[in-house]
Amino acid sequence: MPVNAAAKTKKRLPLGMRNSLIGISFILPNFIGFFIFILIPVCFSFVLSVMKWDGFNEMTFIGLDNFRAIFGQSAFRNSLARTLTFTAVTVAITTFAALGLAVLLNKKILFKGIFRSSIFFPYIASMVSIAVVWRLMFMRNFGPINEFLRFMGVSDPPGWIATTQWALPAVMIVYIWKFMGYYMIVYLAALQDIPVELREAASIDGASGFQFFWRVAAPMLKHATFFVVMMLMINSFKSFDLIFAMTEGGPGQSTTLLSLYIYNRAFIAFDYGQTSAAALILFAIIAAATILQLRVERKMSL
Amino acid sequence: MIEKKNRALKSAVYISLIALAVITLLPLIWMLSASLKLDKDVFTIPIRWIPANPRWDNYVRIWDKVPFLQFTSNSFKLSLTVTAVQVLTSSFAAYGFAKCRFRGRDVLFFAYVSTIAIPWQVYMLPQYTMMRMMGLLDSHTGYVFMQSFIAFGVFLIRQFYRSIPDELLEAARIDGLSEYGIYFRIMLPLSKPVIATLSIFSFVNIWNDFMGPMLYFDSMGKRTIPLGIRMFLGQYSTEYGLMMAASVLSLIPVLIVFLMFQRLFVQGIATSGMKN
Amino acid sequence: MKKLMAVLTCLTIAFSLAACANTPADNIPVSTPAPDSVGGAKPAPESDAAEPAAPAGNIRVANWDTDTMIYMPPMLSAFEAANPGITVEIIDIPSADYTQRLSVMLNGGSDFDAFWIKDGDTTKGLADRGQLADLSGYIARDGINLADFSGLAERFVMDGKTVAIPVSTGYYVLFYNKDIFDAAGEPYPSNDMTWADWEAMCARLTSGSGVDKKYGGLLHTWNALVQNWGVQDGKHTIMDTDYSFFKPHYEMALRMQDAGTIMDFGTLRSGNIHYSGPFLSGDIATMPMGTWFITTVIQRTQEGESDINWGIAAIPRPDGVPQGWTVGSVTPFAINEASGNKDAAWEFAKFISSPEGAELYAAGFAFPSRSTDATLQAIATSEGMPDDALQALKVANISLDRPMLDHVLEVNQMLGEQHGLIMLNEISVDEGLAEMSRLSKEIQGAP
Repeated sequence: MPVNAAAKTKKRLPLGMRNSLIGISFILPNFIGFFIFILIPVCFSFVLSVMKWDGFNEMTFIGLDNFRAIFGQSAFRNSLARTLTFTAVTVAITTFAALGLAVLLNKKILFKGIFRSSIFFPYIASMVSIAVVWRLMFMRNFGPINEFLRFMGVSDPPGWIATTQWALPAVMIVYIWKFMGYYMIVYLAALQDIPVELREAASIDGASGFQFFWRVAAPMLKHATFFVVMMLMINSFKSFDLIFAMTEGGPGQSTTLLSLYIYNRAFIAFDYGQTSAAALILFAIIAAATILQLRVERKMSL
Repeated sequence: MIEKKNRALKSAVYISLIALAVITLLPLIWMLSASLKLDKDVFTIPIRWIPANPRWDNYVRIWDKVPFLQFTSNSFKLSLTVTAVQVLTSSFAAYGFAKCRFRGRDVLFFAYVSTIAIPWQVYMLPQYTMMRMMGLLDSHTGYVFMQSFIAFGVFLIRQFYRSIPDELLEAARIDGLSEYGIYFRIMLPLSKPVIATLSIFSFVNIWNDFMGPMLYFDSMGKRTIPLGIRMFLGQYSTEYGLMMAASVLSLIPVLIVFLMFQRLFVQGIATSGMKN
Repeated sequence: MKKLMAVLTCLTIAFSLAACANTPADNIPVSTPAPDSVGGAKPAPESDAAEPAAPAGNIRVANWDTDTMIYMPPMLSAFEAANPGITVEIIDIPSADYTQRLSVMLNGGSDFDAFWIKDGDTTKGLADRGQLADLSGYIARDGINLADFSGLAERFVMDGKTVAIPVSTGYYVLFYNKDIFDAAGEPYPSNDMTWADWEAMCARLTSGSGVDKKYGGLLHTWNALVQNWGVQDGKHTIMDTDYSFFKPHYEMALRMQDAGTIMDFGTLRSGNIHYSGPFLSGDIATMPMGTWFITTVIQRTQEGESDINWGIAAIPRPDGVPQGWTVGSVTPFAINEASGNKDAAWEFAKFISSPEGAELYAAGFAFPSRSTDATLQAIATSEGMPDDALQALKVANISLDRPMLDHVLEVNQMLGEQHGLIMLNEISVDEGLAEMSRLSKEIQGAP
């Protein structure tokens, strides 16, 4: 396909041809793989959103019926609302935590490496075993978390994943715990880009760490922050593994996020049309949020 | 006076850091403790952090129970290959998207970015069908193809490249460097931090990927560690002790990779002076 | 404009390829060696008759948790010895992911040959999607009598086709810990108890507190462990849309939970505590559980990981239900419609469902669907079984925990969610049952 595009460009714009070919030569190795293994299946699943299909027998075109059907289900509407809450909270807290930790651990601190590693550690642990461990941590009567809360004087600590009210917050805690280390690293990488001279200049001027951060570092971290927020947002919207392994969406449906709803549509209800329709809605939300964010970023960099 | 205040502040920072580190590590400490217990003792209530008589045997038994050595070598092979292919092709493509001008570039990039937003569960069935048609089921090659070209890598590196000023490249072009020369001599060395970030992301993702290998690898000889861990979670009985021992072992290589790449962040400082 | 063109070209290619990706699924029946298999009525037998060569080749068969099935290695070697041309390769899949993995493989058109169906109730869905080969021709050719399966085989005849053959069965019994009974001076449970008797018994057996607490009973967190007693009479199924027949059983479970005579649902659920843990460490006096748990108990006690002194009794029954009635499920074996070697796969299916296969199952403490007094006797008297097992294992009727009907997976998932809410006291029993009704109608309502 890109070769085609290049050929067309050649006829009309002979001057741009060279540039185009060079550009395409950079992209091609990745694009071929991306096109075959990702783009085609994705496009195919989009087509499914207007079809009725059980995954095997012939499919039939049914227009927007799938969308009507899923919007009619309270399970879908609730999971959508839940996903928005989940995303808003986890993105906000994780970003702040990651930034704070990165700034702190970018200083001259003894055992910096050990601190960094221990905060990064959760990110590398496998989800299957993490889920087992955290369920135990959250046990109502004997779990370490509630024992600690009681020790701190909370007489009636929450029932966490044994209640519909606290299950989602519990999942959020684990999500933040697991991912803040990775985004801390992203921020750390960005902080390294702040030229040494700037820092030296700031310290000669007698600026405190705090002042330095706000006046010098913060503007330079803008780029990284946009990136962190965007990635976090996309990943929170899609998050599946943690919930699947930790609560399976329960109790009731209190932790059934959109991704799990989608999965259940496919593998319990075997309705691939509705699966794709729900996914398309999730996609539209993520796309809208991303475009909005890119707009803001562009405006701010002007 | 200032000194005293500073010292108080410093100790406060250290205390909170230590507290935070302990809290983050607590679940992993439990994992370690459970890995030394009998299954029936894992859930004794209240939790016993230090096992009464540690059962080191768990770490020996996992090698017999499942072909753990094979799993480990498969995990290494796949994680390293996918990371290498992804970092290489992604950074190459990212240069095209960030610094080359050609028709259709933005449309193509939009196609890339859109796929990031689609949950894998949605297209895994069509993908499976395609892989079957290409005869790539139950093969490491197929898995590498499937995982290496996800759009995230291109997106991540492109964002970084865009922050590198065009003037720098113009200067290089005037000096007679070709686009490829610019990529290899200027962009690649500059992008060490972002490459480290992507490498860790990619390596950890593949190392811990459960669903992919679960769907694609039929034969025992092709499987990876997460599947091995999952095999202890059976329907009729769950071997938590062994499962945790396997989990602890699987953490070690990733930690090594992390510590290795952590240095790259520090090296990033030296290069950053070139920018302005 | 050109951008638009580029997008359109891109999408056209994608869609046409995607369309290709789809067609093979429809083509599969055609691509199999027996051309008449599309109709499904008479598969390979005729071609077999014309060419009497024995089926041969390697067949790939999907199974879960193979390691824990101690009958499997002897089964495979016995089969391969009896059928020298055929080798069997097991594709082992973790049990929690089995049903989903299987549906991806089947929908994706994978040509693996055969599989055990883990949740027998999903058979209808698989058959509706045309993924199960019709075995009728083979069954007629080889003179298999479906009546030998105590009424289980007929359930897999759909639209005149036999889509699967039952191989093993699991049903609920009452596991108990003799030491706790002895310590409490309580006689061991009889094989003829009502659930009310059981409730009272659990109260008498509960003692201690904190770490040393012994519980009279344990109901695992599956919805089956309460709802099954509602379908035990064989009159109701979980697909009824009025669930008031669950009410007495929920009331009992909640009463016992409040009294502390069974372990708390919230603790079990949030800790993801597997029932084998508390039972094998000797903290539980009685536990209703499926016969599949027998293998685990025997293995763990023989390996010395557990030292409990255990027994089994028949499952308690609701008032008015005869003695020996229990609830259970069937594991059928089916051949993939897309298999390229159905003849060889059938030889394997025939073997594991034969009397010889039944004996091999029984030798590994699994209950063959072709059940006879002899196989039951064999299981009850094998080494490691408690002395009183035979009477406990004799059953008069097995009601299916989940019937083979459309939407059964979806309804069961929903029932599981509401079950959790009731057991966690998030909603009252009446609210829960009403919600179950509403949702069940919604799921089963419009096709």
